[in-house]
Amino acid sequence: MTDQQQADLRHDEVEAGTTTGLASPSVDATDARQNSLWSDAWKDLKRNPLFWIGGLLMLVFLAMALLPQVFARGVDPRECSLSNSQQKPSAGHWFGFDQQGCDYLANVVYGARNSLIIGVLAVLVVLLLGVVVGAIAGFYGGLTDSLLSRITDIFYALPLVLGALVVLRTGTLGRGVTAVAIALALFGWMTAMRLVRSQVIAVKSSDYVAAARAMGASNGRILVRHILPNAIAPVLVYTTITIGVLIAAEATLTFLGVGLQRPAISWGLQIEAGQSLLRTAPHLVLFPSIVLTLTVMAFIMMGDALRDALDPRQRA
Amino acid sequence: MSESTTGATAASGALRGAIGETLLEVRDLQKHFPLTQGVLFKRTVGHVRAVDGVNLTMHRGETVGLVGESGCGKSTVSKLLVALEKPTAGSILYKGRDVAKMGGRALKEYRREVQIIFQDPYASLNPRMTVGDIVAEGWSVHADVAPKKGRLQRTQELLDRVGLNPDYVNRYPHQFSGGQRQRIGIARALALRPEIIVCDEPVSALDVSVQAQVVNLLEDLQDEFGLSYLFIAHDLSVVRHISDRVAVMYLGSIVEEGTDEQVYTAPSHPYTQALLSSVPLHEPHLRGQKDRILLQGDVPSPADPPSGCRFRTRCWKAQDICAQEAPALVDRGQGHPSACHFAEARTVVPVDVE
Amino acid sequence: MTRPDLSQPRAAAPGTGGTVLEVDDLHVEFRTRSGVVNAVNGVSYRLAERETLAILGESGSGKSVSAQAIMGILDTPPAVITGGGIWFEGRDLLQQSEEEQRKVRGPGISMIFQDALSSLNPVYSVGYQIGEMFRAHRGMSKKDAKKRAVELMDRVRIPGAGARVNDYPHQFSGGMRQRVMIAMAIALDPRVLIADEPTTALDVTVQAQVMDLLKDLQRETGMGLILITHDLGVVNEVADNVAVMYAGRIVERGTVDDVFANPAHPYTDGLMSSVPQVEAKGGRLLPIAGQPPNLAAIPSGCPFHPRCSRRRLGAAATPGRECATDLPPLRLVVPGREAACHYSEEVLGV
Repeated sequence: MTDQQQADLRHDEVEAGTTTGLASPSVDATDARQNSLWSDAWKDLKRNPLFWIGGLLMLVFLAMALLPQVFARGVDPRECSLSNSQQKPSAGHWFGFDQQGCDYLANVVYGARNSLIIGVLAVLVVLLLGVVVGAIAGFYGGLTDSLLSRITDIFYALPLVLGALVVLRTGTLGRGVTAVAIALALFGWMTAMRLVRSQVIAVKSSDYVAAARAMGASNGRILVRHILPNAIAPVLVYTTITIGVLIAAEATLTFLGVGLQRPAISWGLQIEAGQSLLRTAPHLVLFPSIVLTLTVMAFIMMGDALRDALDPRQRA
Repeated sequence: MSESTTGATAASGALRGAIGETLLEVRDLQKHFPLTQGVLFKRTVGHVRAVDGVNLTMHRGETVGLVGESGCGKSTVSKLLVALEKPTAGSILYKGRDVAKMGGRALKEYRREVQIIFQDPYASLNPRMTVGDIVAEGWSVHADVAPKKGRLQRTQELLDRVGLNPDYVNRYPHQFSGGQRQRIGIARALALRPEIIVCDEPVSALDVSVQAQVVNLLEDLQDEFGLSYLFIAHDLSVVRHISDRVAVMYLGSIVEEGTDEQVYTAPSHPYTQALLSSVPLHEPHLRGQKDRILLQGDVPSPADPPSGCRFRTRCWKAQDICAQEAPALVDRGQGHPSACHFAEARTVVPVDVE
Repeated sequence: MTRPDLSQPRAAAPGTGGTVLEVDDLHVEFRTRSGVVNAVNGVSYRLAERETLAILGESGSGKSVSAQAIMGILDTPPAVITGGGIWFEGRDLLQQSEEEQRKVRGPGISMIFQDALSSLNPVYSVGYQIGEMFRAHRGMSKKDAKKRAVELMDRVRIPGAGARVNDYPHQFSGGMRQRVMIAMAIALDPRVLIADEPTTALDVTVQAQVMDLLKDLQRETGMGLILITHDLGVVNEVADNVAVMYAGRIVERGTVDDVFANPAHPYTDGLMSSVPQVEAKGGRLLPIAGQPPNLAAIPSGCPFHPRCSRRRLGAAATPGRECATDLPPLRLVVPGREAACHYSEEVLGV
């Protein structure tokens, strides 16, 4: 820091005083590389332990979703015996058994796929809807903004679960994992939109956007290069936190009879089913909750790392 | 008119004082912002007359100073000139062509040739772009100015020219001080080889000792590239120092215009006189030698300006005619235009005899 | 508790009385995550009755921080007063409890700020906020306090005070808001008024009105005025004495006439020649090189030496007076003038 400042001073001394030009140009002795926000962000991410821990956790869950048989130690989650109902964890069955007497470890492991698909897909749709609608409303303003904001308000008025319930009941999307994810996202994107919209409005009036505009930059360029990079941080953090809420909300839909149905397996279903047995078999809620929390933490860590990496002021 | 002159360097060598042909002509420029009520269905309840009849002429290689107090509309003039706002009425003629009627390629070319430097060096640079990207951004829009190959080299030359270490291309704005950031803003404007740079309070946010560095840099760049400046500021001392001609603005229109000598030593509009007489002097021996004209009251709202002369509500010379007839900005025998029915030269700034 | 020299009036500008405030070797640092920022590094000055002392400096010179330390409004942490004393009415404020300090602030020493809008509470009427001073410190009734508020608004020349007492801050122009601030500051007849860049945010015509008002109020009440500013013109027009600050230290002190006519410190000299004047177009400006220092890494020796055109390094320097290694103390150069430069005599040309 001090060295840089000393160098600054030396350079400034030359130019201040009576002349502002340098005696001889000193241009050639530089590394001929122009960094960009994204290349710098990647460099920063690579050095961030948070990113690696989050990434590692995520990889584990991803592997679980892809190859559940490995993690379940070869046990079939649907091979149940009622005689084992609600048995506590033991050396042979680490997570114990559920009410139907199925091996709970295998169930939790096999639940990863559906839960992750629902969580990630829903969050992606939330992010997409939130950013696109929010950016358009904030950037264009006026009537566009009024219309989009009022539409958002209408969605706000419908509770997440109720809205999803109605959509799934009509059956146009089907009843599968994708349908549940999209139904959840459809009624969960409004806060993301509000966040993006307010940020875009704040950034839009800044001088550097005016400078780009005065230079003749197109709207697309201004949005992509100037506004979105400066407006995206809060919504990134918000969506990574929301992923847990969405995975859990899937269970509520099931409870209402419109979400995934047995024999489908998901963490939401397990937490939902376990709640009524909390007194007698707490492990039925505990284990799926732990993996859900770890998943959400993995996303939050990656989101935080990404937000910091995209803000040069946060870098060392 | 040299339509073919694309690079400002073609005009380099134009010396200070040697004023070239007319580049820009502003005629009766107006900008009214609607005042609206309602959320979904907005209805207009009035207009803020931010700019209400501004006439200006800029020649090649010249610096025109535009002074006025906050709210007088000078910043709106700068936004109109760089086509960030559309005029309500009146015209901006650039090399004889009306900017409002330009479209597509012509407007793009205009936006290259007329650049802007902002007041706040902390807000005018994108915090998430490297200095190199900021300076070079214009070339992505106007690809013909600099070939893709060698852009980095060009960027570094520009940084060097404005007094920054060329090795800093990969740094971010927050790593620089206010004065250095302002230099980055200047390099960004310079990158497009403009003819005119609109400087909107370029040194007001800087420390006193750094202001002079930036003013000197602007002067040198003008000599080197034959630039014309519209220098907008509220600091009358800086404007006098840098300007060839000065226009004084009050409540949306220009009240007096002339060479820096004419406006500062023989101001003939009462507002100019009051403004100049308020500037604190730096020489102890001149203290108390000037007539202080203390204005009464506040500037009227631009949403509801007074009839006739805008200044009449605070003017000690006001008579009936001032409320009825708006005085035109014409020479009234002082050798330079003044928008006052009772224009009369008066010395308010004591001349410093060294 | 009393300091012996406090009762003795110092040789100040004509017409000034005894010392009302003394700042003695004040040190303030900010302890931040990224290191210690040395904002004030041994500042001493005295203010007499009726005196206007200008503290002139750029951003980061420590001029505002030292004033905030006097008012006890530093954010602690991160700011810590690490040494020195602030003597007012025979007592060191820094040795007193917060409760005792509160009793001094307002009645004894008060302050006005650059940004009047953010210093006023938007949800209370200005009359209520001015009256607050009387209610809090004098225990007046609401009705009496409001009456006094109208009187004060009259005194700071707010037109139609009686009608505007119930208006809210946003209904006033910048100049009028600053007058409201001044009314609050002088409400309890303080003996010292600290004005921190009081006119920087104002237009030049309004600035002249506000400075006039401050000078008139000072004449009426005899209060001492500390004027913190970066504007050389304002200093010249209103101050008796000036202390120039750089990197948390006073580098030059004297009467305004003397200092402006013939500076004794290269920094003061540089400031004078880098600022354009309205009196003349002038030739090329002569800026001070470089940037104001980073207070987390103040240069060794004389803090100004990296930017100084007169510095003497190595063998060129008189032994013990090497600019890059030896810190010059603030010393008397000629009668009535102190400067912190090893070579002030050369700068002065004496």
